[in-house]
Amino acid sequence: MAEEKNSKQRHHRSMFLESMYPVVALMLVLVACVELCDAATVVDVYRLIQYDISGAPFGSRFSSLNHHAASLSFQHGADLSRSVLILPLRELDIAFVQDYISQKQSLGGLLILLPQTFRPGNIGGGETQGLRILLAQLEKLLLHGNIPFPVYFAFENEETDTMLADVKKNDALGQQATATTGGYKLVISVSEPRKIASPTITNIQGWLPGSRADGDSNQLSTIAVVASYDTFGAAPALSVGSDSNGSGVVALLEVARLFSTLYSNPKTRGRYNLLFALTSGGPYNYEGTQKWLKSLDQRMRESIDYAICLNSVGSWDNELLVHVSKPPENAYIKQIFEGFSNVAEDLGFQVSLKHKKINISNSRVAWEHEQFSRLRVTAATVSELLTPPELLESAGSLSDTRQHVNEDSIIKGVKLVAESLARHIYGHQGKDIQIFADNSSLAVNRFYVKSWLDGLSQTPRVAPFLSKNEPLIMALKKELEDYTAEVSIQQESLDGIFTFYDSTKASLNIYQVASVTFDLLLLLVLGSYLIMLFSFLVITTRGLDDLISIFRRPPSRKMKIA
Amino acid sequence: MTLFHFFNCAILTFGPHAVYYSATPLSEYDTLGTSVKAAVVYLATALVKLVCLATFLQVSETEVFDPYQEALKAMIGFIDVAGLYFALAQLTHRNISQNHKFQAVGLGWAFADSVLHRLAPLWVGARGLEFTWDYVLQGLEANANLVFTISLAALGSLMWLRKNKPKTLIPIIYTCAVIIATMPSITSYLRRVMGWHFPKVVGFELMTSLVMAFISCQLFILCQRPSL
Repeated sequence: MAEEKNSKQRHHRSMFLESMYPVVALMLVLVACVELCDAATVVDVYRLIQYDISGAPFGSRFSSLNHHAASLSFQHGADLSRSVLILPLRELDIAFVQDYISQKQSLGGLLILLPQTFRPGNIGGGETQGLRILLAQLEKLLLHGNIPFPVYFAFENEETDTMLADVKKNDALGQQATATTGGYKLVISVSEPRKIASPTITNIQGWLPGSRADGDSNQLSTIAVVASYDTFGAAPALSVGSDSNGSGVVALLEVARLFSTLYSNPKTRGRYNLLFALTSGGPYNYEGTQKWLKSLDQRMRESIDYAICLNSVGSWDNELLVHVSKPPENAYIKQIFEGFSNVAEDLGFQVSLKHKKINISNSRVAWEHEQFSRLRVTAATVSELLTPPELLESAGSLSDTRQHVNEDSIIKGVKLVAESLARHIYGHQGKDIQIFADNSSLAVNRFYVKSWLDGLSQTPRVAPFLSKNEPLIMALKKELEDYTAEVSIQQESLDGIFTFYDSTKASLNIYQVASVTFDLLLLLVLGSYLIMLFSFLVITTRGLDDLISIFRRPPSRKMKIA
Repeated sequence: MTLFHFFNCAILTFGPHAVYYSATPLSEYDTLGTSVKAAVVYLATALVKLVCLATFLQVSETEVFDPYQEALKAMIGFIDVAGLYFALAQLTHRNISQNHKFQAVGLGWAFADSVLHRLAPLWVGARGLEFTWDYVLQGLEANANLVFTISLAALGSLMWLRKNKPKTLIPIIYTCAVIIATMPSITSYLRRVMGWHFPKVVGFELMTSLVMAFISCQLFILCQRPSL
């Protein structure tokens, strides 16, 4: 009877267990879906740009990262191919980085820590001249190299400082952080970067018509003021280009505002049309300017008397340069330059003329006015730069931040351009008149300049990464709509030799990991603890003999059977 | 190797219960049913406590030690004691000696407590890449809790199941029971007001549990003598 009862009980129990299986399985599935990532520290990081020129790869070719952290204090000859090297900018050794890249040594990744003063939107900060030079050198090195590991920029904060101090301490002791020795693990989990299919460049133009005198059947002449608004730098998510060319854009907007005030009254409307253009594609041989010019109606293009291009007018003191491609002896150039120098004299600074011939066979377009000159339109570039920038240089690097742009320089530049244009339009050349005098209703608005400069200094503007309806483009369009009569947007695709890859911003998870040896040690300790607990309990509740008998059971059973 | 760490912490948290069951004569007398019933009673008690806490307690934003709130929490903590009484005295068990009954009930109670309070954080947290000592400390706390619960069950069985006790020992029994029952309030007081960190609190709990276990063991032996 007891046996029947036992088997029944067993049957019930097995049925119960069987019915539990699907529930248990479901629970396991649900539970396994719980997210594993829960890092103590998450930091925003910005990737080095990845681009091709005619198929030749440049920049950092990878984006995802899952390695241990290492610092510069590692032992010589240590293998860093599975480590991420953390380099603070303050302790950077350019030669070391150069060696690593040129000798194509394998590295798991590179994380460059920048001081907080370089953060867009950070106004304060001490003297950083040396750091800026170092940063510029580093950028040049990284931009023109083909780097087979991920390179990220991050800003220093408390957590990265503590992590770096720990890593340095460990490295100094000679413990290389690997899977068996613990340390910090840096994880960036993003998908592999893909080509941007057809990056668009957007040109915005505003047309301010002049007044035609009655009976005047001739087409009015046009004067154009142009500035390119997009940037290019080592980290596209940080390329705010305050000086190159945020200052130019702000100057253009202020000039547009001043002339729109003048032109709003029919009595003070000049006999010239004004064309304001914000072009894109500046760093890429001014491709946007070329496309914009070609899209213009031929008659319109021929009606352009001359064009003034603005490029970097934010950090100069006493001398502004006017770059031209037509020879200085040319009558138009002479006229333009005289106009500038008269105004400059009145305002108390100097302008110099610099001539650079265009080499038709060379596809490199160093200044924006060269695109105009190639289409037979007289143009000049007003800039603080002495020499023409190289391809992809001076287009908004990491060190080009708001702190080093001076509103006063921009205001002086605005006054120069506006006064000389006005004197030309209204026929007051050579006369001692100040149309845009301070404290008048036509004074240059300092707050306008400052607020637009601040805004642009917090907006990264690398053209391939701007969408078609980017808020920045809409804002610029709206601003020009306020000041001009007709605004049109031209969107073209950036073809040619450049190809770009996405994935510019990511989140870095920093984990403090324990080594495998630690886990094994812990297992050993716990195992011995449980065994001790077991023995202790057996001894206290059943007596020492029972403990010994547990270990002696097999032989005693054999003896019993025998 | 984070699943490894999870495994380590799991055996630290739940291992002692299994070891206790198999090492002591509990396994010989097959008292699993008692432990399971005690676990179910714990679940019910926890639900009742939850409802009471939700109804009567105000949630404060800061970690300020409010004496009234803490007193309220302590009173609700006595529901625990009521549950234990129910499990010890009211449930029908098979014929097992009193000695084993309180052990089985205490074991089941402590196991349910560990599972409910510690399994979920362990599963979610210990599997991540980040390493913290929290889960090891939590396991140690589970150990201390096991000892506390068994001591409380012993004292409880002395209070409610044993009829003839030496008069002098009764107040000691009751004071010890009260101390153990208010242990959660004491630890939260230490953590908030005195600002003790988790490791210190766990160390204190372990020491107190050993002391309490020793005292209740002695009391149990002393109470057992007259009936022998």
